[in-house]
Amino acid sequence: MDFRAHLGLRFILKRRGTLITASLAVAIAILVVQVNSVIFQGLYDAIVRDQINYKFGHVYITRQENFITKSDFVLVNWLERIPYVEAATPRLDTTASINATQSGQLVKHYDVPVIGVDPVRDPRASTIYKTVGDGQFVSSRNSIVLGALVARDLGGVHVGDSVKLKIKDSHGEDVLKRLTVVGITETAGSVGLDNAVIINIDTLREIIDRPHQTQSILVKLNDPTKAQEVKDLFLSAFPSTHDKFKAQTIEESAETTLRGFRSGIALINLVGYFGMMSSAFAVVTIQMMQVTSKTREIGIMRAMGIRRKDILIIFIFQGMVIGAIGAALGTMFGVSYTAYAKETHMTFQGSLPLEVHYNWISLIQTDLMAFSLAIVASIYPAYKGTKLQPVEAMRTV
Amino acid sequence: MVLEVREVNKVYGQGETAVNALKDVTFSVKKGEFVLVGGSSGSGKTTLLNMIGLLDRPTKGKILIDGIDTSSLSDNQISSFRNSKLGFVFQSSNLISDLTVLENVVLSRKIQRTDENALEEAIKLLKSVGLENQMNKYANKISGGQAQRVAICRALINKPSIVLADEPTGNLDSISAETMIQLLKSMNRKLGQTFIVVTHDREQFGEVDKVITVKDGRISEDKGMEVPVKV
Repeated sequence: MDFRAHLGLRFILKRRGTLITASLAVAIAILVVQVNSVIFQGLYDAIVRDQINYKFGHVYITRQENFITKSDFVLVNWLERIPYVEAATPRLDTTASINATQSGQLVKHYDVPVIGVDPVRDPRASTIYKTVGDGQFVSSRNSIVLGALVARDLGGVHVGDSVKLKIKDSHGEDVLKRLTVVGITETAGSVGLDNAVIINIDTLREIIDRPHQTQSILVKLNDPTKAQEVKDLFLSAFPSTHDKFKAQTIEESAETTLRGFRSGIALINLVGYFGMMSSAFAVVTIQMMQVTSKTREIGIMRAMGIRRKDILIIFIFQGMVIGAIGAALGTMFGVSYTAYAKETHMTFQGSLPLEVHYNWISLIQTDLMAFSLAIVASIYPAYKGTKLQPVEAMRTV
Repeated sequence: MVLEVREVNKVYGQGETAVNALKDVTFSVKKGEFVLVGGSSGSGKTTLLNMIGLLDRPTKGKILIDGIDTSSLSDNQISSFRNSKLGFVFQSSNLISDLTVLENVVLSRKIQRTDENALEEAIKLLKSVGLENQMNKYANKISGGQAQRVAICRALINKPSIVLADEPTGNLDSISAETMIQLLKSMNRKLGQTFIVVTHDREQFGEVDKVITVKDGRISEDKGMEVPVKV
C-alpha cells in the first residue's frame, strides 16, 4: 500500500470516534435523501399508478373538443388486437346533483363527478372495481357506487339505499334518475374517487341523451413501455384529421396532476441535498480537528522530508475512507428503510399505499455524491495541513 | 566539507520588535565529524540547528550541504533534500505514535520511495540499538530512552550526510542519557556519519571533534578537535 494511504488509514483508524462521527454524518445525509426518495417518489409513483389504474390507463384516447361518436365496441376491439394491449374500456364522465332521502327527509343536495363505466370491460382495463370495499361494483343499469365521502356526506348512505341524480342532458334539460346504491368505494383520494359516483355507462348515455357516445377510452398495456408505440399505431389507423382523435400516454394525460408533484419532489430533493451539504460541513469540521490533532505528526513528517502534496493526499485519503464508510452505512440504512417501507406497505395519510421500489441507480448516485462531498470537504483541512511549518508544527504538544 | 554555514543571519519580527536570533554565523563541518553546538538557553543554538536542518530559512547568508547551496532550492527540493541528506533526532523523540517502532524507522525510506530492503535494514538498525523485541510495539508504548534510540535509527536509515540532534538527552535520566551519548558516538565511529548535536550540557559528551558555542546569536567559539572535559 502507498505510504500516504497507509498513514491516512492509520491516522483515521486510530481515532475511531472521529471516524464513526464523520461516517455517520455522511450516512445520515444519504439516509435523509433515501427517506425523501422512498416517501415522495413512492407517493409520486402511487399517484401515477392510481392515475393509470383508475383514470387514464397507459394510453388515454379522447376526441378533440367533443365526444367520441365512433362505436366504442369497434375501437376497443381494434385496440385489443394490438399484442401490447391487455384490455381497453370506454368511459363517460359528467357531473350531477345528488341527494338522498332518509325517513322521508332530503339529506343533501350537491354536485358530484359521475363516472360512467362498462361493467364488463372496465374490470379488465382498470382496477377501479377493486376500490369497492362495501357491496359490489356497478352491474345493472340502475346501480350506483358511491365514493366513501359522498356516502358520508349524504348522511351515511348504505348499500341498498337509493339516491337521486340530477344531470343536465345534451340539450341542457335536467334529467332525474333514481338509482340503487350497490357499493361504496374505500379508496385513497388521489384521483378523487371518494368524492365521485360510478354508474353504468349505458345509463349515463341514456340520461344525457348521447347514445353510443363515449368520452374516453382507457387502454391497459401488458408492456407499459410500448405506450408511445400503441399511441402512434392508433393515431395512424385513425388519423386525427378525420376522426379528430387525441391519444396520450400517461405522462401526457396526467401531466397537469403530476407537474405540481414533480416540482414538490424536486424541492424535497433539494432539501435532502442541503442536508448532504450540512454533512459536508460536519466532515470539514471533523477533518479540521483531525489536522489540528495531527499538527505535531505533520511537523515530524515534514522534517523527515515528506512533501506538502503528500500531506494533502494523506488527509484527502482520510476523506475517501470517511466517504466510503459513510456511503456503505448510508446504503445499509437506506436499503433497510426501503425494505421496511415495502414490507409494511407504507401508506400516505393512512389511505394511499406508496409505490416503493429499490431505486439502485438513485442510491448509487446519492452514494457517489456523498463520497465526493466527503473528499471535497477534506480538501480545505488537508490544504491547511500542508501550510504548517515544520518548526512551528513540532512545537505543538 | 559536508556543511558550510556562511554569514547566516536570522531575524524574527520586524521594526522595533525585530530579534536577531543569529548574527553572521560562519563555520564549516568536515565529513565524519562529531560536532557539539553549545550555549545557554535562548542563545540561538536551536535556531541554528533549524537553519542547518532546512526547517527554517535564514534571513541572510548561505548554507551549503555537500557543496549544494540550499538557499536556491524550491520547497519540494528542500523536502527531498531533508529526506536524503539530513537525519533528525529531537529532544522529545517525536515518533509518530500511530505507527509501530518498525514503521517509524521505515517511513523515511518510504518517503524517499526507495523501500527495497528497507524492512531488513530497519530491523538491522533496531537490532544494533537493542530494540529487536520492541519493533512491533506502537511508538507510544515504549520508554523515552527506547524512543530516542528509535529516533536515531530513523535518522540513520537513509544514510544521510548529516545527523542533527537537538538536545537528544534532554528528556532522559542520567543512565539513559549516557547510553544515548555512547550510541551516538559509536554510530559516528562505525558509520563515519557526521553528527551535529545541540546541547546545553557539553560536559556529558566528553571528547568530540569540534565544539561550537553560540552566545547571543553569534559563535563565540569554534574549536576544532577540542577536548572540553574528560568524562
